[in-house]
Amino acid sequence: MQDMQLLEEGLSLMVLGMGFVFVFLTLLVIVTTLMSRFIGRFFPEPAAPAPVRGAATSRPAQDNDSLAAITAAVHRYRRRHRR
Amino acid sequence: MEKLLTLWHGSGIYNLTLGQAVMILVGMLLLYLAIGKKFEPLLLVPIGFGGILANIPEAGLALSALDQAIEVAKPAVLQQLADVLGVSFDAGANAEAWREALKAVIQEGATADMLRTARDVAVGVGYGDGMLYSFYTVAIASGIAPLIIFMGVGAMTDFGPLLANPRTLFLGAAAQFGIFATLLGAVGMTSMGWMDFSLNQAAAIGIIGGADGPTSIYVSSILAPELLGAIAVASYSYMALVPLIQPPIMKALTGQKEREIVMTQLRPVSKREKIVFPLALLILVVLFLPDAAPLLGMFCFGNLMRECGVVERLSDTAQNALINIVTIILGLSVGSKLMADRFLAFETLGILALGMVAFAIGTACGILMAKLMNAVSRMPINPLIGSAGVSAVPMAARVSNKVGLEANPHNFLLMHAMGPNVAGVIGSAVAAGVMIKYLG
Repeated sequence: MQDMQLLEEGLSLMVLGMGFVFVFLTLLVIVTTLMSRFIGRFFPEPAAPAPVRGAATSRPAQDNDSLAAITAAVHRYRRRHRR
Repeated sequence: MEKLLTLWHGSGIYNLTLGQAVMILVGMLLLYLAIGKKFEPLLLVPIGFGGILANIPEAGLALSALDQAIEVAKPAVLQQLADVLGVSFDAGANAEAWREALKAVIQEGATADMLRTARDVAVGVGYGDGMLYSFYTVAIASGIAPLIIFMGVGAMTDFGPLLANPRTLFLGAAAQFGIFATLLGAVGMTSMGWMDFSLNQAAAIGIIGGADGPTSIYVSSILAPELLGAIAVASYSYMALVPLIQPPIMKALTGQKEREIVMTQLRPVSKREKIVFPLALLILVVLFLPDAAPLLGMFCFGNLMRECGVVERLSDTAQNALINIVTIILGLSVGSKLMADRFLAFETLGILALGMVAFAIGTACGILMAKLMNAVSRMPINPLIGSAGVSAVPMAARVSNKVGLEANPHNFLLMHAMGPNVAGVIGSAVAAGVMIKYLG
C-alpha cells in the first residue's frame, strides 16, 4: 500500500518535472530568439564592418612581419638542434 | 607495561575496524583511478584522500565534537552525556555497549535541545569538531561550495553556440529524462523491496543523471545528505566514464547516414546578445522557478562577469583561483562522507547501478530528440549532438565530435555540440529546482 503510494508519487514527480523542464526551456528558446532578433534589428554591432577593412589593409604588412619572425625562429631552432 | 599497553590501545592497528580498512582501500582505489587512469583527477584526488583521512581510526577527522566524545571518551564523560540525553546504562555492560546506546539515541530519539546540551558537554570536556567535519559544515551543508563552483562554470561557459542555434535547448531538455527515469527506477526498486530509498533519496540519486557534479552535490546536500558521499562519487566517476558509456549507445541508435550529416555553419553571435542572455535567463528563473535561483543565479552571475568585459579580474578569479580553492575544500568535504558505516551499505551498490542507468537513458533520450528534430526541421541536425545534452561539459561535446569524425573525417561537430551541452547544464539545474521545490 505504502509502496504503491511511493511509486505514484515518483511518477507524478517525473511527469511534473519533465513537463516543467520542457516548458521552461521552450520559454527560454522563445525568449532567446526574440532577444537575438531584437538586438539584431535595433542594436546591431556598431563596429562590425570597420575591423574587416582594417584587417584587409593591414594584412600584407602584418604577414611579411610575421613571416620574417617565423623564418627567423625556425632558423634558430634548427641551428640549435643540429648541434 | 601499563604504559606500553596504553600506547598499543591508542594505535591505529588496534582500533582499525574492517569497515575502515575497506574504506581506506576504496580511497586508494579512487586515487588510483584519478592518478593512474586520469578520471576527473581534479575532484577524485581530493575526494579519495579525504576518504582516507575520514577513516583513520581514533582521529575522528570527519566527526562532530559530540560524535567524537561518544567514540573515544572515558566512561565518566559517557555517563555525563547519558544524563543529558536521558539514557540509562545498565551497570553490568562495558563501555562499548554504552557508546552504542548513545549513538542509537543520537540518531533517533534525541531532540534538538538535548543534542545542543550534549554538544556543549562534549566541547566542555575538550572535544572539538574534526577538521573534515568543519570543512563539510562550511562548504557543503551551507550549500556554498557547489554554488561557487557553479559560478566558476558560468564564467567558463561560452553561450555563443547556444545563442546561434537556440533550438538545441530542446536537446538539453530531453536528456534530463535520465534524471526522472532514474528517480522512478529508485522508487521502483523500493516498492519491489530490493532497496530502501525514500522519495527524497530517489530524487537525489536521479540527479546523477544530470551529469553535473556541483548540481548533484547541491541537491543531495538538501534532500539526502546521508547519501552524499555515494552520490558524489558516482556522479564524478560516471562523468569521467562518459567517453566509454556514450559511444555504444550513440552508435546503436543512429545509422551511418545520420552520423554523416553535416550541419550548417553557425552564425556569428554579437557581444550584446551574449551580455543580455544571462540576464534573460535570470529573469525567467525569477518569474517561473525561484527554487532554481541559487544554482542558476550564480551561473548567470559568473557568465555575465565573463561576457560584460569590464570585470576581467573578477571573471579571471572566478574561473581560476576561486574555483580551484573551492574544489579542494569541496573534494575533502565529500571525502568526509566516505565513512565506513554510511558508505559500506547495500544501497551504495544500488546508487552506482542507478547512476549508470541514468547516464545511459539521458544519452539515449538526447539522441532520439535530435533525430526527431532532424526529421521535422528544415535545417539538418546531426543526431550525435543530442548525446551532449547530458551536461558533462565539455566531455560530452567532445564525444559527439569524435564519433562524428569517425563517420565522416571532415565533419566537425564540436561547436554544434556545445549548444546542447550548455543547455544540459541549464536543464539539469532546472530539474534540480523542480525537485527541491517539490520535496525540499
